[in-house]
This record gives sequence, C-alpha cells and structure tokens, in this order.
Amino acid sequence: MPSKKILVIGGGPSGLEVARGIADLGYQAILVEKRDRLGGTPDEAQYAALTPDLRNAEEAIREMIEPVENNPNVEIMLNTLVTGSEGSAGNFRVKALQLGKPVEINAGAVVVCTGFQHFDPGRETQKYGYYEHDDVITLVDCEKLLKAHNFVRPSNGEKPKRVCFIQCVGSRDRQIGNEYCSKVCCGVASKEAIEIRQQAPDCKVYIFYIDMRMYGYWENEIYWPAQEKYKVNYIKGIATEIVKKGDKLLVKGEDTTLRRPMEVEMDMVILSVGMEPSSGTRDMAKIFGLKQNKYGFIETTGGALETVSTEVPGVFAVGACTGPADLEDTVSAAGRAVMKSIAFLRKRELVETI
Amino acid sequence: MPVDKSQIIEKESVVVDGIELTADWNRMFLTRVVSAYEDDLMERTTSIAGAESLGWCYQCGQCVPVCPVDAAGGSYGPLRVFRKVQQGIDLLDDPDLWKCTTCAQCLRVCPKTVNMIDIMPALREVAVLDGKVPDELQDAFTNTFEYGNPLGESQRKRADWAKESGQNVAVMAEIKRPVDLLWYVGSYPSYHARGKDASKALARVLNQLGADFGILGTEEKDDCDSFRLAGEKGLFEEFAEYNIKIFNKYQFNKIFLTDPHALNAFRKQYPEYGGNFDVVHYTTYLAPLMGNLPFSKKLNYKVTFHDPCYLGRHNGEFEAPRQCLKAIPGVEVIEMGRCREQSFCCGGGGGGMWLDGFMADHVNERLSENRVREAVETGADVLAVCCPYEVSRFEDAVKSTGNEGKLVVRDIAELIAEALG
Repeated sequence: MPSKKILVIGGGPSGLEVARGIADLGYQAILVEKRDRLGGTPDEAQYAALTPDLRNAEEAIREMIEPVENNPNVEIMLNTLVTGSEGSAGNFRVKALQLGKPVEINAGAVVVCTGFQHFDPGRETQKYGYYEHDDVITLVDCEKLLKAHNFVRPSNGEKPKRVCFIQCVGSRDRQIGNEYCSKVCCGVASKEAIEIRQQAPDCKVYIFYIDMRMYGYWENEIYWPAQEKYKVNYIKGIATEIVKKGDKLLVKGEDTTLRRPMEVEMDMVILSVGMEPSSGTRDMAKIFGLKQNKYGFIETTGGALETVSTEVPGVFAVGACTGPADLEDTVSAAGRAVMKSIAFLRKRELVETI
Repeated sequence: MPVDKSQIIEKESVVVDGIELTADWNRMFLTRVVSAYEDDLMERTTSIAGAESLGWCYQCGQCVPVCPVDAAGGSYGPLRVFRKVQQGIDLLDDPDLWKCTTCAQCLRVCPKTVNMIDIMPALREVAVLDGKVPDELQDAFTNTFEYGNPLGESQRKRADWAKESGQNVAVMAEIKRPVDLLWYVGSYPSYHARGKDASKALARVLNQLGADFGILGTEEKDDCDSFRLAGEKGLFEEFAEYNIKIFNKYQFNKIFLTDPHALNAFRKQYPEYGGNFDVVHYTTYLAPLMGNLPFSKKLNYKVTFHDPCYLGRHNGEFEAPRQCLKAIPGVEVIEMGRCREQSFCCGGGGGGMWLDGFMADHVNERLSENRVREAVETGADVLAVCCPYEVSRFEDAVKSTGNEGKLVVRDIAELIAEALG
C-alpha cells in the first residue's frame, strides 16, 4: 500500500523547516531524530548567536521547533536511529531503532536532513596542537564560552588579553582531503570576534586569514562592523604553527602583505574549523544508496539548478548534508525539498488515479 | 625605524659567481620577524576625531598604484600607512605623517572610503600641537602668521602686481561701490614672480571682457587651506574669521578666484565659520565668455593640461579649463594619460608646497618631475596650468628633468592674454 507520508530524517534546521513546510501544505511528515531533542547542531553544540544577524541561537531554534511540535501533521520520533531501508519510491519501508527497539516506518518519500559535523582539528595536531594546548580551541568551543558569558582561558580561567582566530582549518586543503571552502567560517569567526569584543572589551582580537570570504550581505553586516566598529584586526596571512611559550602561545606564520614572518604571542587561539559530512549523512547515503561526492557529501542531480533531488527517485537531501551551507542556504533548500517531495507524491497519485 | 645593527651581516669579502664583493657590497639583513601587532596604537590613532577611517582598510591595495607619493618612490598609500600603524609605528613620530599631499586619488578608488583628506589634518594637528613639525613647514606657518602669506612678503606689497600690470584694477577699499566680482587673488599670484605674470594676464583678460571687478589689495590675506590640511587648524580658523570679516565689508555678487585651494576653503570650510559666498574659479567664469574675446594672434601650440587636484577631484571642475584652452586660436589640446579624475598631483597640496626639502629625503623624484615627464611624452610644447602652486613647481621640474627647450609651463590666463596680441 503506497504511503502519502514523507519521512524527514534529522531534527536540525533543515529537518525542522522541511517538516513545517510539509505540514503547512496539509501533508503528513514523520520527523525522525536520533537525539532526545530537536534543534540539531546549533542546539547540540550550544551556539551562542547566529550568523550573520547575531540573533540568540537558542531563541531562534526554539522558534523553528514550535511550529512542528504538537502539530497534527507532524509525527516526531526522538531517540530514533534509521538503520535500513527497503522498498522504493512511493513505498519505502524504513527500519529504525527507537530507544534500541526496532521499528518500521512507511513513507512515500524521504528527505535526508542529516547535516554536517565540525572538522576535528585533531587531524591537524602537527600544526595547531588542539589536543596539546588547552588554550587552543575551536569556533565551536568558543560558542560555548560565549553562550555562557564566560570567555576565559581554559588553562587557568583568566581573562585573555589577546586572542586570534586562524581561518581555513580543515578546509581548502588537499592533504586533509577537504578541498572545498566551508563557506561559513569567515562569517562565524568575525561574528564571534564581535561577541568577544562585546563581552571582553579589553581583549584584543586578531583574525589571520588567507582571504576573507564574506558573501553578499555578510560583508557589510559582519566583516565591516567587526573591523570598523569593534576594531578587530584582520591580518592577511595564515598561521602555520603554534608553539607553547611559557603560559602563552606563540603563533607563527607569514604576514603576506608585509612579506615578513610573524611570531606573535597569544593567550588563546581559536581554530576556524570547517564542515564535513556528519556520520549520519554518510550512513543515510549508504542506507538509501545515494551518490556521495569525494568528500562524502550527498550529491544532488542538477548542479546549481537542482539542489535537493538525488539520483534515487523519491529521496531528497537538504542543507549541509549536500555540502557546506549556511542557514540561509539550508532554509531555502528546505522549502524547495517540500515542494519537490510533495510534487513527487502528487504526480504518483495522479498516475494511480488514472 | 632605527636600524638594528645586530640584524646586519657584512663580511670583509665574499666571492659570488667569481666576483669579489667587499664590505657593504655584500651586506645582507637577517629576517625581521613581526613579533607583535601593536595592540593599542591603531585604536589610539583611530580614536582621534577625523582619523577613524584609517582603521577601515581591508588591504585591497587599490590606493597604492594611484598614490603619487608611491609613484615617486615614497612607498606610500593608505594601505601602507594602515599597515605601519598595525605594526606599531606611531604616525605622529613617522615621516609618513607628512608625505600625503591630500590629492584624493586614493579616496577616489577606495571601496572602504578610507579618507586621507580627513585623517591627515586630524593627525597632523596633534603633531603640530606637540611641536613635531618639519622645520620648513614650520617656517611657512610662521611667515603666514606674521606676514599674512607663506612667502614672508610684506603685506603692503600685496597689490604691487596690479600697479605693475598697467591694467585698471580697482581696489575695494578705494572705490567704495559694489562690484560683480570680488577677485580673491591669493598669495602666490600676488607675490611670486610667475604668479604675478598670471595675475597681470588675468587682469587684462577681465578688462577686455569689460568685467566689473575689484581686489582687496593690502587687506587680502592667505586662505590657509593647505595649512589646515597640514595640521595648522588654528591658523586656518584665525584667517578664516579675518577673511570672512573682510569679505562681509563689501558688496559683490561672486568671489572670483585664481587659486583652487582658496576655492576649496571658501566653498567647503567657510560655511562652518559663517561665511556663505558664491565662489567661482577663473576658468569656470571665463569658459562661457571666451567667444567675446577679441583674439588677434594664433598661438600654434600643442598644449597639455594638468588638472589641479583641488579644482578637479576635490571640486568637480574638469571642463572649464579645457573649454578655455580650446577656444584659444591655434591651440591644440593633447591629453595626458592621467587626466581629469586621474590627474597626477604636482606635490604642492596638503602642505607639500613647503616640504620639498623634507620630501627629497623620502622620495626618488619630485612628484612634479614625474608629471613633467608625462607631459613631455605627449609631445606638447606647453604644459597649461590653472593653480598658482603649479607654475613654479613644474618650471623647476622641467629644468631638473632636462626638458628645458622642450616644454614651457604657462598659466591658462597667460595663454589667453597672449592670443589677445
């Protein structure tokens, strides 16, 4: 018996927006989330504020959750991990474990919304010593400190006087295998730099970069205020390594516009880690037989013009599981997936009626 | 920055590719590592009112190739100044504070509106108050303060050129009636030999047109706009109050000006001090009247025109001087590559007029020499100007670049008068 329900896998921003769209159009969504709560990475990683508008992340994500909770058109399944799939378009029988118990979900179409994971800078220990130095943290760690209004040095709990961001950690790197630009880190680092200057006005902030990639309005909404209003120092030239020097960190690199090497002492270093496909994204690609690109992201079929359809009929993918994406990309693609998945079901209905 | 001797490697003798290099011929420097980006200096510098935008530079570098000081070997441009401050070099103690001529080329191309026209006077004012001013510039300040003009000439001789001209030039205090044009002559056109030539020619042109004009004579004092840009705001303000008071003594329709720097001051600064006057540069006034002049001589000159920074880029007048030139019988106008908005500074603005000795230590050539070479390349016989700073600067540069006999420098007024026969 074909199902008219649409299975949405992943309860982050893309999954929430897809489920809401399906419900708004009067269709039934089943929203599956492996964690015990909705909200996805912004919630799990405790983001302080969103990029670019510095909106309180918790509040914004709650606003995305509310329309799908207690929505008669959305069935929410928490603590549920998708483990397999049988059948095909119009009649998927998806196997899952809910709190360890096997369940089967019937759906006519599937939308994969399993997102990304932050690059683990441990893969670059020879350069930046993330696991060696307490005061070397990531953008994600920094979000937690800022959210708690407790921006201090992890090594001694003291307020830092000088901190720097190092851009492109785990991105644009053939040796690591992530040749792509993660797209959001320039904006997120600049946003965090602004928050640091707001919370700790005496702390000087530096951003070492190869080139700042501040697309569209991010330029004037984050980059320019960070420099002009919050006096963040942008230095063109990325740091190559970090050496411990007393209780400070010596950041070494080349200042490319001066064409001179630099060795600058910092109290804290924040690594601007990029995006990689999450383990959920890799798993779903295998379970549904979706083509992945060389980096592990799910491939959609039509390049720039088709951002959510996969080669498997009835299975769609949205947001950061298809490649580096910011929230604007994700929410926009979610709307498209709602349209495509419902159109897919309705075409089948018409065929069956005839 | 002081040279750290320990960073220099110099051997008595080394042989490189079979050639013996002794002493300083084999000098090498150890790598200078940037060990700190000065934490407070950028904030301290950009907290000075007017200097805020120095901190906005995102290092695109568009300013450097259009900077005339950089072109002359001075390693300059807002980007470079920004980077210096970021490295901890205090502009208040650095020659870079005085190199900028405020020509506004960089601002024209800057996407972030880093505005040297505001930054430089703001920072220089602090240096002036601290007494950190190059001597020759200080002399010009002192002369102006004492004599009313930077040349240190007597105030009583300010209108001597008019007597020498043989032209009928009314002096406002004597005629006691309203005029159409109050001619603010300016210091260089009143005292400098070549400036006086242009003033005499201009008086003749005005009389030929039957213009109703008068000068202030010995009541006139310097406009001081370039001193304002060089950091002497106090001097500028004192003279602004004086000039506005004198202007208000008389009845006239327009202030007619020889000097684009005075035009800039009267038009953009004086309203802040309560002086609201309709001001017109002499080329703007003459351009539509050129057909009324009884020309009797064909000049047969190839002329190239140098747009003054403060007439063109700063005040938007590019056409009038060209219209004047093209209306002169026998004049063929040839443009230089860097013309109109892209015009290359003569080096005289923003205090540069009184910093030639200082600048010689920091550039490979004078800015005026760079410009004169460009003028010669066009094949022109005449470099036409209409800013009083330029005649002397360019004439010196024609000599120093060995182009005497190839190119002469003439004020537009002189060319017009010459064609009158």
